[in-house]
Amino acid sequence: MATQATVATEPDTGAAAVPPRRGRRHRDLWVALAFVAPALLAAVVLRVWPMVRAVTDSLHSTPLGFGPTEWVGLEQYRALLGDPAFLNSLVVTAVFGVVINPLQVLLALALALLLNARLPATGLMRTLIFLPVAVPQSVSAVIWAIAYRPDGPLNGTLALFGLDGLRYLTSPGQALPSLMVIVSWIGVGYWMMFLIAGLKEIDPTLYEAAQIDGAGRWRQLVSITIPQLRRQLIFVLVADTISNLLVFAPVQILTNGGPNGRTDLIMNNIFERAYVAADTGSAAAATVILVVVALAIVVVQFRLLGTGEED
Amino acid sequence: MAFAVTARRRPARTAETARRGVLTAVGAAAAVLFLLPLWWMTASALRPQEETFGTLSPVSVWTVLPRHLTAENFGRLGEAGFTLAMANSVLVAAVTVVVGLAICSMAAFALAVLDFPGRTAVFAVMVVSFLIPFDAIAIPLSSVFRDVGLQNTYAGLILPGIGNGLAVFLLRSFFLGIPQELAEAGRVDGLSWWGVFWRVHLPLSQPALIGAGLILFVFQWQSYMWPLLIAPDPAKKVAPVAIAQFAGEHGVDFGGIFAGAVVTTAAPLLVLLFFQRYFTQSLSASGLKG
Repeated sequence: MATQATVATEPDTGAAAVPPRRGRRHRDLWVALAFVAPALLAAVVLRVWPMVRAVTDSLHSTPLGFGPTEWVGLEQYRALLGDPAFLNSLVVTAVFGVVINPLQVLLALALALLLNARLPATGLMRTLIFLPVAVPQSVSAVIWAIAYRPDGPLNGTLALFGLDGLRYLTSPGQALPSLMVIVSWIGVGYWMMFLIAGLKEIDPTLYEAAQIDGAGRWRQLVSITIPQLRRQLIFVLVADTISNLLVFAPVQILTNGGPNGRTDLIMNNIFERAYVAADTGSAAAATVILVVVALAIVVVQFRLLGTGEED
Repeated sequence: MAFAVTARRRPARTAETARRGVLTAVGAAAAVLFLLPLWWMTASALRPQEETFGTLSPVSVWTVLPRHLTAENFGRLGEAGFTLAMANSVLVAAVTVVVGLAICSMAAFALAVLDFPGRTAVFAVMVVSFLIPFDAIAIPLSSVFRDVGLQNTYAGLILPGIGNGLAVFLLRSFFLGIPQELAEAGRVDGLSWWGVFWRVHLPLSQPALIGAGLILFVFQWQSYMWPLLIAPDPAKKVAPVAIAQFAGEHGVDFGGIFAGAVVTTAAPLLVLLFFQRYFTQSLSASGLKG
């Protein structure tokens, strides 16, 4: 993505009228550095430095109550991969992701298609579905905690239909799906907005041509809308996957990973290693694994976006 | 979109009207479902707690409509240190937006307009750095911050919010759309590069600046894990942490929890509603193009 745009601004060789600027180049370098230095510094201090710190911490042992000291090589990683709690956390995170990511993207796509159609009041509907994005995650968590109470409104609704109440967050089977509902309530409107923006960019003449050829709605969706929306769909799927990989506030506030580790998503697991068990080395090793996974997902995105893209 | 363009004016008119009716109903139902938790939260903040729980089982229209309006739930927030937490959140978010916009727009200007050796390398470093999700490295970053004495300081809370890759890329792609001739003309007229940035590019980029400002604001106001890690001191508590702790400690004061939730949500909600257009524009511009 970057290359294209960068190339476009390279001083245009053909387009004359630009005075020769060789002599100024050196001074411009310092000007440019002054402009870019604060952000560059922020990038390095806020991203690269902690990453380096995580790697070094992960290669040292953590005597209780002290910082990491003794060099232990890859021992932390070996211990992690033999730790049932960590493996459980990986499984829970994977299950969470495999279920929630397709679900959210499909829901966002369905809503985007619906609310991009020529229907009355779509602007208002879009805004209402987008609203939860503005709610801080911790607020969403405490509100849903009350909604999920045994005497809460959800069970009250079930009672209306003569159904027994559910246990939601306290039930090993229902806790993870209950979290998925919260996270989707927060996120779906956000991803929907990206897809609506993409739908608006599709050339309407494509649909006109398809209609002349006698293509039905379903055919238009499969042959025009989905392929034309490919870029946005991939972006949303990847960005959504990353954001669901890092879900933390609802877990920490509502379940602390329980019951029985059934909702122990990776961020909660790492947080507890660092702050409950005070095991910096182990938390650092888990962080490194998490970042590698996240970057791998992003690389896949660039691969998918890079091929077959020609505008 | 795909469906609506059709609009055939032939025999299928009634069928078309019925279809539109059904789709509208589905859309309205979805919108109501998404709104309901927020509505219920607000209604319950404005009524006595007994009424909130008295109307829950089975649900009825009174579950979502308050009968006795009261502001007393909000009164209890002051005692719980909520005023301070809100003030902290506002301060942190405001400084983040101002400083963040300055830093990000300057970098975007250099990357989009200035021609200097190593620009590609600088850009690559920024891209790769910001590909690492912040939350993933928040825990080791908190160790770094503690080592340099930034624990329990406003600087510690603000700093992670000021360098935002998304904001830089959004502004950069906007600056790239401004004709390079304008910058050259400004230079010929004797403006310094700073002058070009300040008098040409910034005034032309209002939508992108608002979009980037919103990205910075939302990131900071949503922030929960970072303040938890870096500012355990109650004097530096921010609103999203305060509401979670209030819910943890006053688990039975649901009226207070609802009131705190309303207060914590009101600011970002109003800001986003007001600037929604810019926010959605920036969503479509960032990450997808450029």
